[in-house]
Amino acid sequence: MQKAARNIRRLARRFWRGLREWCGDAAYERYLRSSAGQSEGYPRLSAQEFYVEQLNQRYSRPNRCC
Amino acid sequence: MRAAQFSGNFLIGTGVCSVKRLGRILVWVSVALLGAGALGKIALDRGESLNAIWFVIAAVCCYLVAYRLYSAFLAARLLALDDTRATPSERHDDGRDFVPTNKWVLFGHHFAAIAGPGPLVGPTLAAQFGYLPGTLWLIAGAAFAGCVQDFIILFCSIRRDGKSIGQMAREEVSKRGGFIAQLAVLAIMVILLGVVALVVVNALKSSPWATFTLAMTIPIALLVGVYLRFVRPGRVLEGSLMGVGLILFVVFAGQWVADSPSWARVFTLGGVPLAFAIMVYAFAASALPVWLLLAPRDYLSAFIKAGAIFALAAGILFVHPHVLMPPLTRFIDGSGPVFAGKIFPFCFITIACGAISGFHSLISSGTTPKMILRESHARFIGYGAMLLESFVGVMAMVAACAMTPGVYFAINSPPSIVGATPDAAAATISGWGFPLTAQTMAGLAHAVGEQTLWNRAGGAPSLAVGMAQIFSNTIGGERLLSIWYHFAIMFEALFILTVLDAGTRVGRFMVQELGGRVWKPFGRTGRMPSILVSSAIIVGMWGYFLYQGVVDPLGGINSLWPLFGISNQLLAAVALVVATTILLKMGRTRWIWVTLLPMTWLVIITMTASYQKIFDANPRIGFLAYANALAAQITAGKIPAAKLVETQRLIFNQRLDAAVTAVLALMVIVLIVEALVQWYAILGSRRAQVLHESPYVPTQWAEGYSGVAHGDD
Repeated sequence: MQKAARNIRRLARRFWRGLREWCGDAAYERYLRSSAGQSEGYPRLSAQEFYVEQLNQRYSRPNRCC
Repeated sequence: MRAAQFSGNFLIGTGVCSVKRLGRILVWVSVALLGAGALGKIALDRGESLNAIWFVIAAVCCYLVAYRLYSAFLAARLLALDDTRATPSERHDDGRDFVPTNKWVLFGHHFAAIAGPGPLVGPTLAAQFGYLPGTLWLIAGAAFAGCVQDFIILFCSIRRDGKSIGQMAREEVSKRGGFIAQLAVLAIMVILLGVVALVVVNALKSSPWATFTLAMTIPIALLVGVYLRFVRPGRVLEGSLMGVGLILFVVFAGQWVADSPSWARVFTLGGVPLAFAIMVYAFAASALPVWLLLAPRDYLSAFIKAGAIFALAAGILFVHPHVLMPPLTRFIDGSGPVFAGKIFPFCFITIACGAISGFHSLISSGTTPKMILRESHARFIGYGAMLLESFVGVMAMVAACAMTPGVYFAINSPPSIVGATPDAAAATISGWGFPLTAQTMAGLAHAVGEQTLWNRAGGAPSLAVGMAQIFSNTIGGERLLSIWYHFAIMFEALFILTVLDAGTRVGRFMVQELGGRVWKPFGRTGRMPSILVSSAIIVGMWGYFLYQGVVDPLGGINSLWPLFGISNQLLAAVALVVATTILLKMGRTRWIWVTLLPMTWLVIITMTASYQKIFDANPRIGFLAYANALAAQITAGKIPAAKLVETQRLIFNQRLDAAVTAVLALMVIVLIVEALVQWYAILGSRRAQVLHESPYVPTQWAEGYSGVAHGDD
């Protein structure tokens, strides 16, 4: 019983994390952890700048289909 | 090679015959038998009506078997996916473009990108042939053509750092091939946008409720856009949920607008004003900053799309409606009222998305390859996501065939064919063997909160009626029918608008890129005059097709949807030509039929359809025959002077459509000739072929790494 509850909790957490990844909520956190976010040379983007830059990039190539 | 062995062991057989293995084989054999049985039931049933559950069982079993066997074969033998090879997302990991992404999350991204209105509208229109041909083509086309294309193009692009289909055509086929592919993409995009816009216009025409709902999504999107930009940057989930809540409210509030005479008048628009409103909207969305309008609308549409597809699946499983349409109708002879043309080739043209869609090759060679974690994931994402889209197509077919056939034909037939008054039209349709009275239609229109349901070709209203009937059988009954109907219309229109604005923006970049070759400053994507001019050019181009469709007395869908299908399938042929060339260069001659057969099939259907659309003597099929018939009427003096200009424009449009079809077909023929020359050289040469793959780099990631470790732990 306890094991089942634990499994369900883990599954729910995984789903939640997946949902945040899918819709873009977690994108900035991911950027901060990636090499571009960590490197010294570049100025690190703020959450706002990153959000706008991501969108500009995403909607400059085919990303929605019939 | 580990992945290859892993996925291939079912086929290869190692001689070890454990009980577990035997059990697994037994399970798969029973899945296959169940699928075959369900398909047989669908194909051979001639009883009163057929339960929709059989469609679901047949489709799901076929997909499972195709995925388990055929995609495993493709992954192991044909492509030899290699998990020891670092993918672009590992080598270039920059947190922006190249982002290693969990398999399931990326599946969600990829599916949201490929699934649009196509798999809903196409099967609904093709239902005029009966449920059988469309369903079989959806299932078989996906398993052997559509999924194969998506999977192999994704694989090719992964091996090339996420290069686009045009770049791959240039490098692997020829320079000219690449240029043709690029032009073809632009041309197809223009036609696609014009046609889907026409579907929206036909859905909103003289419907204040639907028009109000869709109009309100624009301020809602602006609100969400500002929230996500300034209030809580990047908090997409909460912003979108807020927006979705507001949208559901305006769907509900639409009935108050429809009930109030003064407000209803404001939102009751004819076809032409609606067409112009949509053009203005797309121009604005393309020229304004993305974060303001385009992106938030896309978020809303993605959430609603996911929700609506789940709801449709759940509704069909829960209600398991009876399919009332016969397996084959008399219209397979080409006299169909929804669109003219025989079952071959037009069934395979009408259902493009859902069976095979060339447009997917743009997605498979766009964002997805840059985010994939391991090569072996390409099987699940490339092949699997397309199977799911095919399933959406089968559900749309079920929804369309679950309504009374008479009602289906009444909604989708233009008045020039069935008759202008409700009584005349009902008599014509009843005469075809699909009993219908004018009262039924009036009652249904009233029940769904519309002024009329006659002549609403385009697939959206009939699908919405079908869905509303299924939903209201689950929750709410008759009372909620109108809410469900407008919910269905809203979600279809919403994601068509998303295709429109995103497509217009991408088209704008293509125009700027092409224009930049002639005059450098035009190519600068940040320059305001260039942005305005290029947006206007692209909107003007698809807007012309839209306008032409709106004023077409035969109902624009009749001429434009096949044009869209042809161009989409031509793009698929282009993608398969590129894939075949790459496979030949990789030395996979033995299995070249994997792409060569679907490619040949696509060339046959598109060329036959193009020829018929241009030259057929029946004015409802052949563009030129229709133009000539109209010209003959003018010479005979049968056209009143007031309609002379209009008719002349109609003649011009038909000739333009013929020319566009011819140019597209010619481009693809040139590309195929280019490729044939290449193939001949490859097969005749003993030297190793030059592949433009990125060099092999071994992965640094641990074996079990799934990308989730990047997450919140």
